[in-house]
Amino acid sequence: MRATMVGRTGGRPGAAAGVAVALLCAAPAGVGAQGTAARDSAVHALNRLAWGPRPGEADRVAATGVMAWIERQLSPERIPDDWLHARERAFTILHIDPDDLARRFVAARQEQLARRRGDTVAADPPPQPGTEAAALRRLGAETQQLVVVRAVLSERQLYEVLVDFWANHFNVFYAKGADRYLLPAHIEETIRPHALGRFEDLLIATAHSPAMLFYLDNAQSVAPGSQPPIPPRATRRLTAEQREVVAQRMPRGLNENYARELLELHTLGVDGGYTQDDIVNVARILTGWGIERPGQGAGFAFREWAHDRGEKVVLGERFPPGQGMDEGIRLLRMLARHPATMHHVSRKLCARFVADDPPDGCVDAAVAAWRASDGQVGAVVRAIVRTPDFWAPAARRAKVKSPLGFVVSAVRATGAAPDSSLRLAQLVGRLGQPLYLQPAPTGWPEAQADWVNAGALLARMNAAVALAGGRLPGATVDLQAVLPHTTDHAQFVDLVNERLLAGSMTDRTRAVILDQLRDVRDPFQARALAVGLAIGGPEFQRQ
Amino acid sequence: MTISRRIFVKSGGIGLFSLGLDPLFLARAVYGAVGPRPISAGPDRPILVCLFQRGAVDGLSMVVPHGDATYYHERPRIAVPRSEVIDLDGHFGLHPRLAPLKPLWEAGSLAVVHAVGSPDPTRSHFDAQDYMETGTPGVKATTDGWANRYCTSAGEHDATPFRAVAFGPQLPRVLAGSAASLAIDDLQAFGLQARRPAARDKLTAAFEALYEGSATGLLAPSAAEGFAAIELLKRADPSGYAPADGAEYPAGRLGRSLLQIAQLIKADVGVELAFADMTGWDTHVNQGAGQGALATRLDELGRGLAAFSRDLGERMRSVVVLTMSEFGRTVRENGNAGTDHGHATAMLVLGGPVRGGKVLGRWPGLDPAARFEGRDLAVTTDFRDLFGELLVRHLGAPDLRPVFPGRDADPTRFPGVLGA
Repeated sequence: MRATMVGRTGGRPGAAAGVAVALLCAAPAGVGAQGTAARDSAVHALNRLAWGPRPGEADRVAATGVMAWIERQLSPERIPDDWLHARERAFTILHIDPDDLARRFVAARQEQLARRRGDTVAADPPPQPGTEAAALRRLGAETQQLVVVRAVLSERQLYEVLVDFWANHFNVFYAKGADRYLLPAHIEETIRPHALGRFEDLLIATAHSPAMLFYLDNAQSVAPGSQPPIPPRATRRLTAEQREVVAQRMPRGLNENYARELLELHTLGVDGGYTQDDIVNVARILTGWGIERPGQGAGFAFREWAHDRGEKVVLGERFPPGQGMDEGIRLLRMLARHPATMHHVSRKLCARFVADDPPDGCVDAAVAAWRASDGQVGAVVRAIVRTPDFWAPAARRAKVKSPLGFVVSAVRATGAAPDSSLRLAQLVGRLGQPLYLQPAPTGWPEAQADWVNAGALLARMNAAVALAGGRLPGATVDLQAVLPHTTDHAQFVDLVNERLLAGSMTDRTRAVILDQLRDVRDPFQARALAVGLAIGGPEFQRQ
Repeated sequence: MTISRRIFVKSGGIGLFSLGLDPLFLARAVYGAVGPRPISAGPDRPILVCLFQRGAVDGLSMVVPHGDATYYHERPRIAVPRSEVIDLDGHFGLHPRLAPLKPLWEAGSLAVVHAVGSPDPTRSHFDAQDYMETGTPGVKATTDGWANRYCTSAGEHDATPFRAVAFGPQLPRVLAGSAASLAIDDLQAFGLQARRPAARDKLTAAFEALYEGSATGLLAPSAAEGFAAIELLKRADPSGYAPADGAEYPAGRLGRSLLQIAQLIKADVGVELAFADMTGWDTHVNQGAGQGALATRLDELGRGLAAFSRDLGERMRSVVVLTMSEFGRTVRENGNAGTDHGHATAMLVLGGPVRGGKVLGRWPGLDPAARFEGRDLAVTTDFRDLFGELLVRHLGAPDLRPVFPGRDADPTRFPGVLGA
């Protein structure tokens, strides 16, 4: 039924045929026919559409059918996730009102400045335990740790993968000023509710996101010459010098940053056919899209006084004068439905799910599904996994895991769990991907060249050895449950191959590990060594 | 992905021949079997060390325009008194806590570039640091750093994992990109960790064997770079290092970073670019004058640079150290006896190749009419022209266009720290 849906609306006979072929002869053909093929497909799906298999999970997915598992994952609201929800209750950051958080941050900052006035040390010392500054720092770390905990524990794996994808597509840098308190709401209220929804709704939500408006400076982009209405009592008691400071801090004109990234990164893509004039006009349309002050909501606010009321033209479309905030919504809808956007974002999804440099076939299928479904993310993902490209041998294990993917998949594979500390997120940072701390609006890169370097690989090896030895801070691991020890090294290495590497261990790896185990008498020590080498070795870096 | 790395991975020795490099030597580096021959071109290889003063240093009190009355007029509480300034040329002088650098000035190996900065007007630390590291002011979407682009564009270099090294837990933006680069937090802890040296060697050998066999992509060559680095470092014996000539590094992160950079340079492991940073320059409140918050930071900087220079001794003839900061600070002091975010700042350049003893760059003056937006020291030297001069005249960069896209490499705009 779904095949006809995609085929009928795709508008491209070739793409539709490709989907049909995929449905007939790709993964589902393997299912049931041969156990190994079914298991391999399940492993592939769990590597790409989830954060890696947990012990026994590949067999379970293969038994129910990998396509059925994917369908189920596409409706996350129907998947119970009680274990994760129980863990989430311990995260204070999820229970704080955004405006309260904003006020606490501003108060702490003022306190810090006041302290400095009586002090000669310009460098901020680390906050003392028990202080508000320390509490706020911990909330920040919680926000990062939550990424790891959700990825490891959630049953809604595909959803969490897509949350990661969109949080990265609509990247916000946590350490830029007010984003310290605005980012949590960006994740919880902007990204997560729309991760498997319609792209257009997601895009419009991100354009309202205070974190984004601050990060890319739209909150300070005003129509040239516009003046904020400042009530006289607000400045009456200021000295001339303070008035000057206030005047200097007032935004003074257009800021094109958000407009540029909206076109280049969020929607059309760098080759999307827009001009510098288009950027300026987009920036003009979005003047007035700003943020409430802390204590007054810290949410989105449209400021009429800052809005450019003139006529604008974007990509040849005329936006008549005086349309206020409505023209911004019209612009975002237009961008969300633009063919260049469909192609750019579809290709990025394919780079995530299929290959760093994805074949045209899966991109075309994704675009067709986008068009047919009005940009439903689930429909686009479904179309991608139904292409032969997704299941092709060339795509399997062709991608290298990101640092987050490596840590999460290692914790999942060993049946470990994040403890209540915030250490696993720190580890992801040490491996080169400090969470929410990518300064560039591009987000983290997808290709292996950006993750694979000598220092990062050595760090992965060390983390693997520590995890296998039960010494990785932040994770509690019970290897006995997953890999019961045995004195027969060959047998044990086979078990490691099956349980941790899904049968991908090369003869060479097997020989190297066995060689290392030769003089090790203690079976627990042997186990830790074999598991450490397997997780730190080349096979496990791939997905 | 860099062209050189692609060649490396895909065609091995053939590509290397075409680059004019010794394939045997590279093969050794790549496969970890480092022989007794030093991997570097020897002690005369030019090296650039960059030190980022994060938080925007007040250039006007680091290198004081003591000949300009406006400086004293605008800063009644925090101007460095004329009597304390270490005069350089009758108009400018060093902050008293930079006294350890005076001998370098007299020896002609320290130059100052004043009124240097970014053409972008931002006063956001985040944006300005980003622009100074990506080398593309005003362009937010640049993902790689100028130093990394230099490494990819100037391929004529031995394949050592230590070519571009940053000291700190994470790779800074300036080194981000597709060319291999290393972030090292602690030289002694670099490599695989195990309680006993024997266990550590065994583990290292095991992982090395695992990765040697992995077939495609970057995993095998990158891991090989890591193991080559471990091997090279072993030879350098980081735990047994003692600074030469009685050099005493200041306590703290800067001193530790500089000491480790000196160590790597002396170990001849092929360092070409090294980065370190130092925080605490954002002096909004109680900045102080000859004493105080800024003075404390400058004290650490001055002693650190002097120790580095003394420790390296003769080796400084091929080393240039550059300080940089994202922007300067307001000419006028603020209500809290501090300074706010400004525009141009000063940068120090020191080392054997430097034609020092000069304050370079056109001085725009502190007259309000000459200031940027009426308040800040104006930028008269684009930071890319200073960095570009060092890349071209010191490191021998063949082409600056890929390093600083959008900025024509015009040597007439170089400030002249290395002479014409």
